[in-house]
Amino acid sequence: MPGSLKTIGKIRAALAARPAELAEAKARGRKVAAWVNYNIPEELLDALGFIPVRLGWGGDDRLTDIGARYISTKNCVFVRELVGRFEEATDPYIKAADIVALDATCLQVYRVAELIKYYFKANTVILGVPRNFATPEAKDYFRAETAHFVARLEEQAGQKLDAAKLAESIKLYDAIRAAIRELYPYQAGDDAKITWLETFDVVQAGQFLDRRAYLGLLQELIAELKSQQGPPVVKDPHSEVRIFLSGSIIPPNDRKLIGIIESWGGRIVGDDLWSGLLSSIDVNIAAPTVEAIADAYLGRAPHAALPYLDLESDGRLKNLKSLVHKFKAQAVVYHTLRYCDPFTFKANETKTVLNKDGIPFLEIHTEYAGSDYEAIRTRVEAFIELLKNRNLVEA
Amino acid sequence: MSEQQPEVKGIYAGVDVGSLGTKGVVLKDGKIAGHAIIPSQLNSEEGGLAVLAEALKNAGIDRKDVDFIVSTGYGRISASYANKTVTEITCHAKGANFLYPKVRTIIDMGGQDCKAIRIDAKGAVVDFAMNDKCAAGTGRFLEVMANVFKVKLADLGALALEGTEIVPMSSTCTVFVESETISLLARGEKPSNIINGIHHAIANRVNGLFSRVGIESEVFFSGGVAKNIGMKTALQKVMKVTIPEPTFDPQLTGALGAAVLAQNFAAKEAKEKEASCLAV
Repeated sequence: MPGSLKTIGKIRAALAARPAELAEAKARGRKVAAWVNYNIPEELLDALGFIPVRLGWGGDDRLTDIGARYISTKNCVFVRELVGRFEEATDPYIKAADIVALDATCLQVYRVAELIKYYFKANTVILGVPRNFATPEAKDYFRAETAHFVARLEEQAGQKLDAAKLAESIKLYDAIRAAIRELYPYQAGDDAKITWLETFDVVQAGQFLDRRAYLGLLQELIAELKSQQGPPVVKDPHSEVRIFLSGSIIPPNDRKLIGIIESWGGRIVGDDLWSGLLSSIDVNIAAPTVEAIADAYLGRAPHAALPYLDLESDGRLKNLKSLVHKFKAQAVVYHTLRYCDPFTFKANETKTVLNKDGIPFLEIHTEYAGSDYEAIRTRVEAFIELLKNRNLVEA
Repeated sequence: MSEQQPEVKGIYAGVDVGSLGTKGVVLKDGKIAGHAIIPSQLNSEEGGLAVLAEALKNAGIDRKDVDFIVSTGYGRISASYANKTVTEITCHAKGANFLYPKVRTIIDMGGQDCKAIRIDAKGAVVDFAMNDKCAAGTGRFLEVMANVFKVKLADLGALALEGTEIVPMSSTCTVFVESETISLLARGEKPSNIINGIHHAIANRVNGLFSRVGIESEVFFSGGVAKNIGMKTALQKVMKVTIPEPTFDPQLTGALGAAVLAQNFAAKEAKEKEASCLAV
């Protein structure tokens, strides 16, 4: 039964203790590198001796309003909320950050970098990201940008990047990613002892925790699942409504859509969110070098912010379809945050591609305010009715 | 001691508690026996019960004889009188299918939202899209416009048809259209042309919803706004479709679908009960 795993309790406790742990580490002279967005290679932060922590908890409409004093309301609620957190300055991770590393995958995040530097004197380091990943020029550009990013980090760290330390960091992160890939199928199995939400929380907790300790916890969790659940299997996917979640970022405190899906009889069995599974797949770092890291990050499924016009070969869509099949999901709920243009603009093409494969698709366009709760509930409930009816027909 | 099974009367009711109107339909032996529409009340539970009583009274049926009740609409969450709740999207699909089995596409324009629904031959929903968090294209929007022109809501559609031109509107936002209309009137534009323009602007917006779900003939127009002849005409023109003359009040489509589903659920329950009895 979900909720009974001891290791999940340990991970929650570790997350609660993390701010104090960071304060102690800083008192011992360690530096904290907070990061935002999909294309920041954490391996580089770790190898340079920084403690990497992700920023952005999401879900707080009050902070979104505060953020909107600095950044236009035509930017997504996630970035507005993040700016609001900088203004309020009570978030322990923001308080602990010696540097804030942001990538320019999404230009709204790039704008955040400018704002927090200007208004809140944040020590920002920006990683440039090419617009079209598929060209040789993009590869050269990203290699150069990553090298520049490393040079900036080296200045802040007061040390040069060491090849042996980088190799060790890559090994650590490869092991974390492999463990997350191993963990994910358990939640999608029959009689699962862990839910998708618990798994998602575990993955996001890892973005804040000490990575070495986290790897140990992940391995412990997998061992616990192996003994309690056995190998994950799905015998009859049509006996329930199995939903795959895609689209804009869902940070740890944004529970609105997830709660609605689960309370109306949908079972989430997978995601391709960058705050979830996506960051752990297809990262193939061929050698312990900055160039190899740049190439590996460039070779992953691209973020929706990057224009890709050839639908047939779009790695993001290929990856989405492959994960939907892997987790035996019946349908995709595509979450778009208001003014998250990258994902919103790609909703229709994503729907077209999935519908071609007979996969129903529902776009939910929302924000952190609760005023659209009932409207979302109606859409989700109707979608679940549609899927239940399909299941009956197929049975 | 054997448990006595309640006698099945073949009477089913659907209650659709919308934002502006509360609707009820009673089915007896598979045919519409009674219906009612009342303005929605602050307490949706009381509104649902009131419309149910009214529809039953019109049908000449006693409440205790109703076998199964389905509630729908935004007020479905407060319907302790119902055996089951179903979304209005599924109910409009079932209602349209009951009235016009050949219908595959439904435009539903209600008090506070607007839906594009595609259905299959059995009236099951294949795909749907709803308007964004915005009043444009809803009954509430048309109410505001009727107030601006100081006409009755029921007359707004006919006034649109009197227009000889379509005055382009730069927005479909209720607030902006209201201020734009005042400016256009001050500029001397003919009210009927402005009203015609408003209806076409909304029709264009509704057509946009269908770009997400597709249009398949035949097309059915349901909801309270379907009574607006100007809206129907503008939709036919913009979407290049023919919308049939309604044979039943289109505002009752959701409640009718709820009653049809009540009948289906009751039949399913009876079948399951029979199967469990046989198993014993």
